[in-house]
Amino acid sequence: MSLNIDKDDMKKYLLGTLDGDRKSQLEERILSEPNVYEELLVTEEELIDQYVAGSLTGIEHLQFETNFLVTSERQKHLRFARLLKRYVNSHAVLVALEEPSFVAHQYEVPAAAKSSSSFSGARLTRRPMLGLSVALAAFAVILFLTWHVRKGAEHIDNTSASVAAVVPLTPGSTRSSGATVTRVQVPPKGSEVKLELQIAHPGYPHYKSELLRENKSLKTISGLKVEAKGEQHVVPLTIPAELLSPGDYQVRLSGVLDSGADEFIDNFSFRVIE
Amino acid sequence: MNKNWVLSQEAFDALLDWLDPDREQAGIKYEQIRLRLIKIFTGRGCVDAEDLADETINRVTTRLDEIDKEFSGDRTRYFFGVANKVYLEYLRRKPPQLPPWPAPDSERIELEYRCLERCIEQLNHENRELLLQYYGVEGGAKIEHRREMAKRFGIGPNALRIRAFRIRLGLQACVDKCIKLQAEDEIYGSVQS
Repeated sequence: MSLNIDKDDMKKYLLGTLDGDRKSQLEERILSEPNVYEELLVTEEELIDQYVAGSLTGIEHLQFETNFLVTSERQKHLRFARLLKRYVNSHAVLVALEEPSFVAHQYEVPAAAKSSSSFSGARLTRRPMLGLSVALAAFAVILFLTWHVRKGAEHIDNTSASVAAVVPLTPGSTRSSGATVTRVQVPPKGSEVKLELQIAHPGYPHYKSELLRENKSLKTISGLKVEAKGEQHVVPLTIPAELLSPGDYQVRLSGVLDSGADEFIDNFSFRVIE
Repeated sequence: MNKNWVLSQEAFDALLDWLDPDREQAGIKYEQIRLRLIKIFTGRGCVDAEDLADETINRVTTRLDEIDKEFSGDRTRYFFGVANKVYLEYLRRKPPQLPPWPAPDSERIELEYRCLERCIEQLNHENRELLLQYYGVEGGAKIEHRREMAKRFGIGPNALRIRAFRIRLGLQACVDKCIKLQAEDEIYGSVQS
């Protein structure tokens, strides 16, 4: 579909910042060209998603709240976008891999799609699995790694544990029912799971985390630093496999000020499964 | 014109005849024009965009006789000129303000979430997979990931984008319906979760 529309114009239009003539021309096309109207609807949803993901610039964020959310209908769409994000985030299941070099090649499978399979989708860099062939390839990797771990434990360097999985977690993903919480397969012994705690406003010199299982504190780690990951900011946190057995876990993240005082930021939840 | 003027059946029929001789096509055009006018008024920051769209349509309808004699060309565009006038009048009045956002109601959110879960379960496998994969990636990897997805589905990136959007739109409609049904259940005291 070639619409000959400046996407930036469409975004500006939705944010209420497109100037008079161009705005008028675009509106005429919205009224008379079905494809342009549909493009507007799609761009509207994408803009909402960007807002929810925290990827709008500061000024766009303000314009979104001031100019875009003017109707209850748009506010309803925003609520829906948040629900969808929560659903999608919570339906990623992780497959433990042994070698750090596999990190960039892990894939994601929707829970709905993998429920009938013993193979669970994985995500590290949130690059989803794209097809059965990839699934089979990943399955083969898992089989190989299982064999590899059994065959030669000596290959695992005990002094520097390998990352078994990288788990992106969004704040407030806590679900009391646990039905849709992010799930992680039990990592192999001697390995580690790297949690990536997504935060909206990185402003602290460093961070402190507390890992809890059923309200019992397991480990506190200080001196964590925020990292930029694409358009987001994450606080990476590495957990040794020995601390993770099937059950529900929570991470309490706090920001630590120069004075040494800490301020609670958010909770992050995940479930370890067999 | 009295903005409270209500479209009579006779006037509505006349409008449909003007839009298209085929009644079914005319009905489709009417709906399309109304929805697009709502979007345009919303884009201009009008809280009561639906009322303004209806007012625009009513105003066109009352002038059909003269428009029919004087105007030739894309009839859809005629509405745009009238919409501009309606908008200017709207600005002269004191535009209403949207009440502050309601405080998040956790029970309501959970209800909506349960409805979303049900609606996603009702999707066929391919659409569910597409939805979860398409929306499952954020940040820098998103563009490349969606390009790969489009290849896998054998369609262009924009076609994939539209397809994901349409699935999402259908889901929203399903969730709305589900919430409405739940609310009715609550009214009759037979909530089933």
